[in-house]
Amino acid sequence: MANLMVIAVVGIALVFDFVNGFHDAANSIATVVATRVLKPWQAVVWAAFFNFAAFLFLPLEVANAIAKIVSPEFISIGLVFAGLMGAIFWNVLTAWLGLPSSSSHALIGGMVGAGFAKVGPDVFTAKTMVTLRKTGVFIIYSPLVGLLLSFTLIVIVMWIVHRIRNKNAVNRTFRGLQLVSAAAFSLGHGANDAQKTMGIIAALLIGAHKLDASVLDDPNGLPLWIVLSCHGAIALGTMFGGWKIVKTMGTKLTRLEPMGGVCAESAAAATLFFASYNGIPVSTTHTITGAIVGVGSANRISAVRWNIARRVAWAWVLTIPGSAAVAMLMYLIVEVFN
Amino acid sequence: MDRRAVFFLIAAVVAGALIPLVPHDPDHPAIRYVGPTLVVAYLVLALLSYLDHASRRRDHP
Repeated sequence: MANLMVIAVVGIALVFDFVNGFHDAANSIATVVATRVLKPWQAVVWAAFFNFAAFLFLPLEVANAIAKIVSPEFISIGLVFAGLMGAIFWNVLTAWLGLPSSSSHALIGGMVGAGFAKVGPDVFTAKTMVTLRKTGVFIIYSPLVGLLLSFTLIVIVMWIVHRIRNKNAVNRTFRGLQLVSAAAFSLGHGANDAQKTMGIIAALLIGAHKLDASVLDDPNGLPLWIVLSCHGAIALGTMFGGWKIVKTMGTKLTRLEPMGGVCAESAAAATLFFASYNGIPVSTTHTITGAIVGVGSANRISAVRWNIARRVAWAWVLTIPGSAAVAMLMYLIVEVFN
Repeated sequence: MDRRAVFFLIAAVVAGALIPLVPHDPDHPAIRYVGPTLVVAYLVLALLSYLDHASRRRDHP
């Protein structure tokens, strides 16, 4: 019976990963679609491929951080189930409202909320606090880094190309380059986001005594089937995409030209690579939003539609407490049936 | 006042305010440098943006 439940919760985790791809990966290709470099279906196939290939390039630091967010002695199948359901419910709600929230933070909020419902304040161990503080600070830092890098990049690029008279040639060059920057961004997205689900599955298997906790000491110690299934699920989710959010991110925040798209994606990709190497679970959405705002504000600060940016920011602030509250409720329901 | 300079100044203040909250993580020491780097970079951008705005106003009063 316990084995069946573990398999069921692993299945739910992979569904979460799929929804994550559906919800977040659409944002990662927004700039390519907005600048009409690729048609939407081409963009999702391109992004999905690099989402899947990410495991070849980046270490599993984020997976390890997530696996340790709730101490293994507190982990149970019911807790992981409640945490996942809290995150999934939050993602569905924000997708339905057309708000680009963060699947990553929903997952962290869900796990901590379910943990709190189970053991109370004891859930906040030293390791949990390190991950929570890193995650919390980088909710603000990741868009600021993305914004800074994209602003700097676009200013440098504009300075280089402003004397070139043939603007069509410049546009053509950047349309080609955008394929590279979109690929880099999808690699960063695949690495950082798929690893969150890997971490959850690892925590579940350690809690169910199916996996030794020592695997978390090695940045690449997780079993290959976990790695491949998580990358596969997020890539599939990307294929199905969330077009409503693509529209918000790609056209409503600010209008982008191919040159701006390249700068935004390159800046966001660099931020995601840094985060992945340092075990920081950041949001793809936060990062690309900051980068898009950076490109917009290099032209004119009024080019950024601040009312949309404010709406997005509220969704960010509410994600961890919102998903934590839902997960607490889910855990209490699970306990009733336990 | 240049709105972009104000925006960069606020970004520098926010980044600076968060520096004490960055945890000590011996496995990933690089994260401690993110906050100070952001503060310096946004202050420089605020200054450059203000100077750019001021010079434009002087050229086109």
